[in-house]
Amino acid sequence: MSRANNNASGLGVYSLERKPSAWETLSSEKYFKWVLIIPLIVVLLVFMLYPLIYCLYNSFKEGGLSGTIFVGLDNYIKMMRDKTFWVPFSRTMQVTVICIIFEILIGLGIAMLWNRDFKGQNFIRGLVLLPLLVAPLILSLVWNFLLEYNIGFINQVFDAIGIGRVKWWEPRWALYTICAITIWQWFPFSTSVLLAGFKSLPRDVFEAAKVDGSSSWYTLRRLTLPMLSPLIVIIMLLRTMWLIRLFDPLYGTTRGGVNTELLDWMVYRTAFVYFDVGYGSTLAIISLYLTIIVGAIMFRQLIRALNAGTK
Amino acid sequence: MKGKSIFKNIIFWVITAIILIVVLGPLLWIYLTAFKSAGDIMTGQLIKQVAFTPTLDNFKRLFTAFPFFQSLLNTLIVSIGSTILVMIIALPAAYSFARWNTGGGHILFTTISTRMFPGVVAALPFFILFQKLNLLDKHIGLILLFMYFNVSFATFLLYGFFRDVPVELEQAAQIDGYGRFDIFRRVVLPLVLPGIATTSVFCLIWSWNEFLFAFLFTRNVARPLTVLISSFWGSIDVQYGPMAAGAAIGVLPTLVAAWFMQRYIIRGLTFGAVKG
Repeated sequence: MSRANNNASGLGVYSLERKPSAWETLSSEKYFKWVLIIPLIVVLLVFMLYPLIYCLYNSFKEGGLSGTIFVGLDNYIKMMRDKTFWVPFSRTMQVTVICIIFEILIGLGIAMLWNRDFKGQNFIRGLVLLPLLVAPLILSLVWNFLLEYNIGFINQVFDAIGIGRVKWWEPRWALYTICAITIWQWFPFSTSVLLAGFKSLPRDVFEAAKVDGSSSWYTLRRLTLPMLSPLIVIIMLLRTMWLIRLFDPLYGTTRGGVNTELLDWMVYRTAFVYFDVGYGSTLAIISLYLTIIVGAIMFRQLIRALNAGTK
Repeated sequence: MKGKSIFKNIIFWVITAIILIVVLGPLLWIYLTAFKSAGDIMTGQLIKQVAFTPTLDNFKRLFTAFPFFQSLLNTLIVSIGSTILVMIIALPAAYSFARWNTGGGHILFTTISTRMFPGVVAALPFFILFQKLNLLDKHIGLILLFMYFNVSFATFLLYGFFRDVPVELEQAAQIDGYGRFDIFRRVVLPLVLPGIATTSVFCLIWSWNEFLFAFLFTRNVARPLTVLISSFWGSIDVQYGPMAAGAAIGVLPTLVAAWFMQRYIIRGLTFGAVKG
């Protein structure tokens, strides 16, 4: 096989008479795959290692931009004791869990509802996808407007039908309002993934279950959910990745106020509002570690799913 | 029995209608607000919120009183520039991963892990670096940053598309005497054109929508659309009219893309794991 390859790449005939040119060597079977990959590796090295080393280095220092005092692990110790770190951290986890649960429940419900042939099914399924690619920042601005206390359309409707106006941005509710906006934008994602999953389920098993007279709850719990579980895992992992990084909806609504500060907002505030490079770097490093843990679990799963899909 | 199924049908359509209203309502609201006069936007009367005389005032104000076209142009330059760069880097790498499993999966894994790299972590070091290199508020600065956060996604998505190309085709081309580079260019690339198109559109949209870097790294010259629109929501007064008009235009390409890429959206958003 490898000999055939050498012949095919044009070296075979002439190799006895002259040395292969640089171009021929680079596009030969042995080196070509590495030539293709070099630009990517260079980009990754520069764009990943530089910020990493910078943050790591500065996390041992104190002070602003020109901070030159080495303080060892002080920043890390400060962070462990810092309530302003742990509160946004636990809030981020809370948002992640709430959003994922509701997105999957709503998504699954709608996918089950639409898992049949009906008039205009492709059209309607397509319409539901529309918010998915819209800038989260713009959507949060729109929702902020819709939920405004006096002129917001939703509060006006609530007022008219007798529910009364709701203070959506009260400290007690603001975080959940942000969750709701995020869930609104992303439940179509779960719906569509699960609809695709339903399509791939084997029909005969479900017909057999029907013939055997098993209840629809039993079928859902014992047949549908187990078969869809790989997809649900993928949804959970991908959504975790996006949700941990939630930033744009905060800017469009509360700007980190009224008890809604999340992990990334806190890093942003420390580094860019207070310009505390040392502490900001420390927070960034910890934030990075947290996501690496999630990421490591998640992409192994993804690659596995990808391989299972093509083989 | 028949009555029951009609009843079931009615329930089905009522729920479906509610879902559609909830999903599309806020999007529709952008367009309704964009065509309202300032008085109709601030009105307390519910009827006037829906029944109003449409006007183009908001668009006129947006075009004349704000640097809207400059921002739109900035967004276009940065999105297209970064997407081209991403494809130049990601295409060959994805092919290499798909065909030879280069690096035994480890490099691919590292590549995709970098997608987890938090934007804010990179923001501070790059801000200081760009300050020194005089790249702040420049198109090229944003292009580089957008390339950085799209390249791993693009590589991974393209990897899935390249894997769909049968190896036999390439072997046949080899026997016909094609060189490695020609096989890539003449045999494989045409076959993954849909994949290239999908990936490019996704990169364009991510850059189009990006806010964090755009907000931190630009002031006036290179300020893209998302940042301009966000600036209408000031802490003292809110320019609802121009905001809605700007959003109406800024959102349009993403809505069009979502509509025409229906088949590929799920594949893209799941990094190729779910084919939709």
